[in-house]
Amino acid sequence: MPDLNIDFTVNGRKVARKVDPSRRLLDLLRDDLTLTGTKEGCGAGECGTCSVFVDGKLVKSCLMPAAKAQGADIETVEGLAAPGELTPVQRAFHKTGASQCGFCIPGMVMAATSALRENPNAGIEEIKERMGGNICRCTGYTKIFEAVEIARDVIAGKLPQTALNQDGAASSFIGHNTRRLDAPSKVSGRLKYAGDMDMQGMLHMQVLRSPHAHARIVKIDTSRAEALPGVHCVITSEDVPGTDGFGVFVHDQPIMARGKVRHVGEAVAAVAADTVRIAREATRLIEVEYEELPGLYDPEDALKEGAPVIHDYAADNVVKHIPVRKGDIEKGFAEADIILTDDFSTQQVEHAYLEPEAGIAYVDHDDVVTVISPSQNITHHRHMLSHIIDKPINKVRFIMSPVGGGFGGKEDMIYQGMLALAAMKTHRPIKLVFTREESFIASAKRHPSRTHYKMGLTRDGRITAIEFSMLSDGGAYGMSSEGVMRKAAILSCGPYEIHNLKVDTRVVYTNNTPSGAFRTFGGMQAQFATESMMDMAAEKLGLDPFEIRRRNMMKAGSLTHTQQKLNSASIGTVLEAAEKACRWESGAPTVRGETRGDLGGPDTRQPCTLGARFAEAATQIEKAKVAS
Amino acid sequence: MKRKLKGRGVAASWYGIARTATIDRAGAWAELDDGGTAKVVTGVTEIGEGILTLLSQVAAEELGVRPEQVTIGDNDTARSPEAAHAGATRQTYMIGNSVALACREARSRLFDEMSKVWDVPVDDLRSFDGFLWAENTNKRITMEEAVDTCKKRGVVPVGSGSFTAHGTGLDPVDGTGSPWQAYVFGTQVAEVEVDTITGEVQVLGIWAAHDVGRAINPRGVEGQIEGGVVQGLGQALMEDYQTQDGHAVTHGFAKYILPTSLDVPQINSIVVEDPDPLSPLGAKGIGEPALVPTAPAVMNAIYDAIGVRIRDLPATPEKVLAALQEKRREAQTAA
Repeated sequence: MPDLNIDFTVNGRKVARKVDPSRRLLDLLRDDLTLTGTKEGCGAGECGTCSVFVDGKLVKSCLMPAAKAQGADIETVEGLAAPGELTPVQRAFHKTGASQCGFCIPGMVMAATSALRENPNAGIEEIKERMGGNICRCTGYTKIFEAVEIARDVIAGKLPQTALNQDGAASSFIGHNTRRLDAPSKVSGRLKYAGDMDMQGMLHMQVLRSPHAHARIVKIDTSRAEALPGVHCVITSEDVPGTDGFGVFVHDQPIMARGKVRHVGEAVAAVAADTVRIAREATRLIEVEYEELPGLYDPEDALKEGAPVIHDYAADNVVKHIPVRKGDIEKGFAEADIILTDDFSTQQVEHAYLEPEAGIAYVDHDDVVTVISPSQNITHHRHMLSHIIDKPINKVRFIMSPVGGGFGGKEDMIYQGMLALAAMKTHRPIKLVFTREESFIASAKRHPSRTHYKMGLTRDGRITAIEFSMLSDGGAYGMSSEGVMRKAAILSCGPYEIHNLKVDTRVVYTNNTPSGAFRTFGGMQAQFATESMMDMAAEKLGLDPFEIRRRNMMKAGSLTHTQQKLNSASIGTVLEAAEKACRWESGAPTVRGETRGDLGGPDTRQPCTLGARFAEAATQIEKAKVAS
Repeated sequence: MKRKLKGRGVAASWYGIARTATIDRAGAWAELDDGGTAKVVTGVTEIGEGILTLLSQVAAEELGVRPEQVTIGDNDTARSPEAAHAGATRQTYMIGNSVALACREARSRLFDEMSKVWDVPVDDLRSFDGFLWAENTNKRITMEEAVDTCKKRGVVPVGSGSFTAHGTGLDPVDGTGSPWQAYVFGTQVAEVEVDTITGEVQVLGIWAAHDVGRAINPRGVEGQIEGGVVQGLGQALMEDYQTQDGHAVTHGFAKYILPTSLDVPQINSIVVEDPDPLSPLGAKGIGEPALVPTAPAVMNAIYDAIGVRIRDLPATPEKVLAALQEKRREAQTAA
């Protein structure tokens, strides 16, 4: 289809552009008009980061063809306030700390603005409903709601403008609610994440990924891809000049598959070309011959005799086993009045940061290979890359771009090596931005776990022994698995002083999407099991759940599970603080929800029933009728 | 049985601060700059948690300027000192303390010069909020003037800091060791409502009490707790990355379900401050610990409401319904 000429208005200015009809409004705004405040979080209308106003209506610009902008009046986050100024909604976001990583925030600000334009008197339920199409992964939404309510009241004149100011100065900046210094750039869409950056002469990278979970690579033929006009280079593991391999603990992952693929979505080859489209087309011209291998999809299977071997160095498929021993569990169980055994499992969890992986690499005037990316570990990445590209440390430079959410998921160097290699081959800046689907299938997840638990207790609720055994699925590569198992083992039995324990955490290779670092690093999987057991024990023994925890909690002088002596332990204080704050009605956890007297207080919300915005609208119509 | 039943559950937790079972370290540089402003450079900073603002508060406090007068340099392995990585609940503890130490050195350079200029003991000098003064005197100037005076005497007020946390490795056989020098503890209570027809669980309230050592920016601490709780809630009730023979079947937000504004309970944060005795700031951390107790508190609350114990996360409506049916079947068999 030929390009179309379209005329439209953006932020009050008339624009005329020739557009490829296959492009989206989002591309037109970001690429042609450099309005990068509008973000792409998913490309499927599911996250709301690309929200803009089209003729006054909130629209997800990734779902709107650019050609439909003909004659439209478009408003983006950049157009909400004059440069250097902020709207009351933006100022309220600044005040309350509603922006954390900031990637969802321009879309959030648009949705909040829309909610208050649609109904300047919207109540909190209606605000929540109107903002339900925008995902935030950092804030837990709470400070966002607070901001929208303040903005609503300031706009309506119910609160003074000063309500948007920073809390008054104190005698110290420690303990002060200093407003986030990076918030103005986040609420106005001015902050440039890696995917928003552009460099002179920049090429675009696309990655060919494995369609197989476990297969030997027989042959890769890149000749057709290389011959495509606009392609500058095609790289495979053959192009790695140094010692290939990265990982947080064991360097078992090549920057592109070497000899075999171990999970679906693993990078096999990459192309740098003049445009994203050419690069993508070129990846389809790369011919890879695979010989499929039997795969492992369950961690139990990985431990079986004769199981397929995923990595030659680990014939038993075990990435790491962490044992912790203390006291004598046989003696401990013998002293117990009751013994509980149970099994728990947790699922694989995606970090779902709203900013998909992105980066730019270039070789500078001093021959320094430089990678700009939202890496959570630039220090370790430069060490690993220096080995991979065989250059001294001072010729490798990592710059951490603003991170649009990490949670551990951006600790792995899963794409920076490819960018560096292509930059070295072409001496041009190279940019790569993952699609949401690529981010899902190629980045690490929270380890799924299975825990077998045995706990012995005396009649008065004292734990005499614990046997704890956890098996985790590490997926295809080691990444942070070793550390995750270590932390899971150290924290396993919770904030309690246990005199006799036997703890084992194991993680194995499979052909599933790799598992890695994720906020709590194994701590939540382990303590989910422990805290479930504590309540089950409390029910059996007729003890209040706070009480059983107090009877076992660590104190100053306690020995931890790894036999470290604690100088202090604040668990008693936090137990009491939570118990008081929630007005806990004491009693054993014997399914007494129906009879509790502490439910439904002012510090809870109402259950959500959809339709708040219609209900409120109906009330207003009624009021208007009565008034007239 | 009523259709909608409510319940409450509690879970406690603990967590170690900074990198595990190793010697953690972080470096920083600081300079009191012209105009009463300041420059701070350190290797790793913001991943969204608010550390830039926190470091500016720390620098402002230590130097005597205002947080907005502090510029934090970019995170760049070729232009800034090593501060390791952004994770492990280590930013406030490791980098916060190294910035504090760097700023103290820069300040002492300035104070040394001013004590000579004014002929007062260096210990009598104070600086805060853009001013420098000598206690019990009428000597008081702006930081801009103080830096200018210092530089005219040939001294640039710069400093560097390196902070260490001494963890030890674990014994490979019995796991003994001292993995961290600072620990935090937390407790959360969840109040839920379970729809026994649909199996849907709504979390209506969370009370989250967490020891953070010292809350340098209380709102920032709350933000971390609220974000951690909602991630924990997602894992408790809905998030589930699934693969079939290694192929992802939940590779987008249409199938991988995340908490939205409509899923969020009222979160009541209770910030407990048990200062860390081993570090200049006394602060510990909150990033990861906030998430740990949420899922078990919610599972314990579901049990309190309907007598069903979910052992396999997440507690999706399908799983809750299946467990309820199982419970009814058991009750019938028993009767």
